[in-house]
Amino acid sequence: MVVEVEGLWKTFGDVSAVEDLSFSIERGQVYGLLGPNGAGKTTTLRVLMGLERPSRGSTRLFGSTVTPSCSELLHVGAMVEQAAFVPHLSGMRNLRLWWEAGGAHMRDADLDGALAIAGLGDAVHRTVKTYSQGMKQRLGFARLLLGRPELLVLDEPTNGLDPGEIREIRELIGRLTSHGATVLLSSHHLSEVEQTCSHVLVMNHGRLITSGTVSELIGATKSIYVEVDANERQRALQLLSTLPQVTAVQTQGDGLVMEMCDGRRSDVSAALIAAGVHLQTIMPTQGLEDAFLDLLAAGDADDAQRQHQGSAVSS
Amino acid sequence: MIALIRTEFIKAARRTRTAIIALLLIGLPTLIVVAINARGDRPDRGDRGDGLFRLASQSGLLVPAAVLSATSGFLLIVIAGTFAGDAVASDSSWGNLRYLLMRPVPRGRLLVAKAFVSGVLIWAATILVTLAALVAGVILFGVHSATVPGIGGVAGGFELSTGALLLRVVVATAYVAFGFSALLAIGTLFSTLTDTAASAIGATVGVYIVSEILDSISQLGVARYAFPTHYLGAWETMFTQNTYSADMVAGIVVQFAYFVVFGTAAVLWFQRKDIRS
Ligand SMILES: Nc1ncnc2c1ncn2[C@@H]1O[C@H](COP(=O)(O)OP(=O)(O)OP(=O)(O)O)[C@@H](O)[C@H]1O
Ligand SMILES: [Mg+2]
Repeated sequence: MVVEVEGLWKTFGDVSAVEDLSFSIERGQVYGLLGPNGAGKTTTLRVLMGLERPSRGSTRLFGSTVTPSCSELLHVGAMVEQAAFVPHLSGMRNLRLWWEAGGAHMRDADLDGALAIAGLGDAVHRTVKTYSQGMKQRLGFARLLLGRPELLVLDEPTNGLDPGEIREIRELIGRLTSHGATVLLSSHHLSEVEQTCSHVLVMNHGRLITSGTVSELIGATKSIYVEVDANERQRALQLLSTLPQVTAVQTQGDGLVMEMCDGRRSDVSAALIAAGVHLQTIMPTQGLEDAFLDLLAAGDADDAQRQHQGSAVSS
Repeated sequence: MIALIRTEFIKAARRTRTAIIALLLIGLPTLIVVAINARGDRPDRGDRGDGLFRLASQSGLLVPAAVLSATSGFLLIVIAGTFAGDAVASDSSWGNLRYLLMRPVPRGRLLVAKAFVSGVLIWAATILVTLAALVAGVILFGVHSATVPGIGGVAGGFELSTGALLLRVVVATAYVAFGFSALLAIGTLFSTLTDTAASAIGATVGVYIVSEILDSISQLGVARYAFPTHYLGAWETMFTQNTYSADMVAGIVVQFAYFVVFGTAAVLWFQRKDIRS
């Protein structure tokens, strides 16, 4: 296990930023940490990096309990909130000083690789206060890659970047993970998580709402869109309405939309193919974004109910 | 540790502010010397308030004493407070502290390195202002022995040779610089308590101003002996009364006590602190 979080709580006064959070990440997995503003994502990452102490519970990196400045951090490349630097020094000097502050020698750092990734050209010799947010973010990536980390911890890494830069960062993460890096990435950009991550953790109000693979999360949704050859549409409609898993089906544009009570998409495609229908397309009608919003709504409804029950008991 | 001190020193030394402070510390003594020289034309104005200034035109070697006396009450306190209060808070205000601590640099060691660099800069500032005064003084007034008149004809006057003057200038500089030890520790503690450098610096200087005000209220009695500013001027008797005052020893003890207490508090707090900036 690269990352293990067990029963983690972090409270500030009576506000709890993280409540009873548990998850673990294996080598090579790419985890997205999704949640709305104030869900507790940054707090979780801070505790994981030894910057904040957990109020309860434990976090482990590479099997060792995280303590402030523990040596396991050497194998972690992290960016928590925006990338930040010493403003009156050049990008290059910032990289050097940061690296050398740990007592390491510059020749042990992957400076060329990091600079190539930052893609700042000559600007790397300018003072950081002249940089745009995007340039800082790219320099931040260069810094966290200096030590050839095995684990990347990224807090909204594309925050403040333009679409071109967002794609570059996404491709960069893709390249790093294809070389075996483990990633924990927090994001608001659901599409980003959908495209970059293999697994998702969804947090809200400090709690873990759900976790699983991206396809499981999307697959958990119940609405499916099917396209078949136009002359077979009526037959498919009849067939689908007889399937026990399907509660409702109707035409929509060139295709059919059905609601399922349980079962998988493969049950539907198998039934259609067995009946000799030429299946063109079958997919969930909603992406991760909808699944995510549904989950949050469901979570809030649960909360409301619990609170309601709580007040009923106490009154 | 050496690497940390080196990197922290580069960060502090390369600030524009450090250069401005250096210029100020060279320029101000020069101005003071020119002013003393202008007043030297009419030596018997008779205001005892600035004793060292009246003496200073006798010898370039007395000028550093006059300048130290003029600057250590406020200017050097502000400068020392700036270096000390900035140590950690500047990194937090830039948002860079969390990245330093993810390096991973042990927090206690980082704090000691930062305080050490602040201390070096404080000593450098004190030495710089003395040297500037010495150079300007020697150029304008030359190197002479000095005669200090007795007070009101009761105590006798005395003569200070150039060797004695030079030695006492060195001791005075070291005493003034060491006198900022309490401020260094208090500033470092404040620096870990806030994420904005300006508040850390302001709080540090504020404590000193309050200490100076309280120190001037004689009704507070012996309590005043424990204020960090109480003995800061104890070195001046070396030039005005020909004695190494016992107050200097007391001053060193008080500074040391503050340094240990506040320094320890700073390290303990910084190690436990949630880094949120
Ligand atoms: N130092 C603190 N004192 C009090 N409350 C805090 C503190 N830090 C965080 N919180 C609270 O904890 C909760 C979680 O904050 P956190 O920054 O972890 O959220 P986040 O998921 O990163 O949000 P965002 O998407 O906006 O970055 C918020 O309600 C926040 O107000
Ligand atoms: Mg956040």
